[in-house]
Amino acid sequence: MTKELEHRFVAQLEEHQNIVHKICRLYTNDSDAHNDLFQEITIQLWKAYPKFRGDAKFSTWMYRVALNTAITLYRKSKRTVQTQDYESVSFKVSSEAYDPTVEDQLKLMYNAVKTLSDVDKALVFLYLENKNYREIADTLGITEVNARVKMNRIKEKLRTILNP
Amino acid sequence: MDELEILKKEWQSREQEFPKLTSKEIYPMLLKKSSSMVKWIFYISIAEMILWTTLYFLVPESSKKFQEGMGLNAIFMWINIFNYGVVFVFVYLFYKNHQKIQVTNTVKELMANILRTRKTVHYFVYYNIGMAAILMFSVNLYYYFNKDKLYHILKSDEFYSAVPPETFITLNAIGGLIIIGFLILFYWVIYGLLLRRLKKNYKELKKIEV
Repeated sequence: MTKELEHRFVAQLEEHQNIVHKICRLYTNDSDAHNDLFQEITIQLWKAYPKFRGDAKFSTWMYRVALNTAITLYRKSKRTVQTQDYESVSFKVSSEAYDPTVEDQLKLMYNAVKTLSDVDKALVFLYLENKNYREIADTLGITEVNARVKMNRIKEKLRTILNP
Repeated sequence: MDELEILKKEWQSREQEFPKLTSKEIYPMLLKKSSSMVKWIFYISIAEMILWTTLYFLVPESSKKFQEGMGLNAIFMWINIFNYGVVFVFVYLFYKNHQKIQVTNTVKELMANILRTRKTVHYFVYYNIGMAAILMFSVNLYYYFNKDKLYHILKSDEFYSAVPPETFITLNAIGGLIIIGFLILFYWVIYGLLLRRLKKNYKELKKIEV
């Protein structure tokens, strides 16, 4: 039974690992810390998995556990706090789709998002993942109206960062 | 279209470049030990409770004899019984609150539950420091009003006879204050460091709701 559970979990995590990677990239600054956080999120997901019931989507459930780990449970190791060894964001692009202006814009935007607070980052992340305000509110534990208001303020904040 | 919309569009339409872990690489990860905040807090809290509880046992023999001579034994016994009752209540509350910490809580609930669990331990520590302060104050007051008896015992006791009887009360009081001061400083530093980020985030989330 445990083996079966383990297989199922690993298969699901393998399939949805990008969600975890995206969160790691947003909350850490180098590949060591990224791997460290990925490891911790995996442990937390696995510990919580026996209680995971199929009534929620695996990915939805994963958002909550992974964000909780990144924001609250994960203890940043000191040695990696200051470094920034990877490019902020790198999308896979086919050569014909490559547009340097868009690429630059994306990089700037992504860097601006990275300067936000832990909580703001979580909101932006869920927004980028195309979650509606109901889901964002449910994950964070705030009301839908407040999630919307907060998101508007964050957009405003980002605009100020980008156009000082 | 604002910039965030552009990022959102690209975020969904294109894949980002990440290491692609295979299940073979994920399996060993399940066996690794967690180093989460909750675990740290749990161990520290347990250590504190054990430390404070064992401190009751660490009263030196000479001091016990001294208390007996001053006629304080019976009252100290009752205080001890009361203390164990309080310890029991705190351990129970800590256990209940710790149970509520679930990684599947909402972000806000999780933070609130961790802070509540910590608060239980903080109150336990406050209780101990407060109790120690009150006890020290009352015992010194008692000594002061029973000086004759005190001086008599001090002279006959080989351990305490080294201290001039007149300065005993003052030394006792100063020593007590220094210890309490250190404890407060210690807690302020340790928990400040451990919970700073969590508290900041929790405050921010609460502010959204105002």
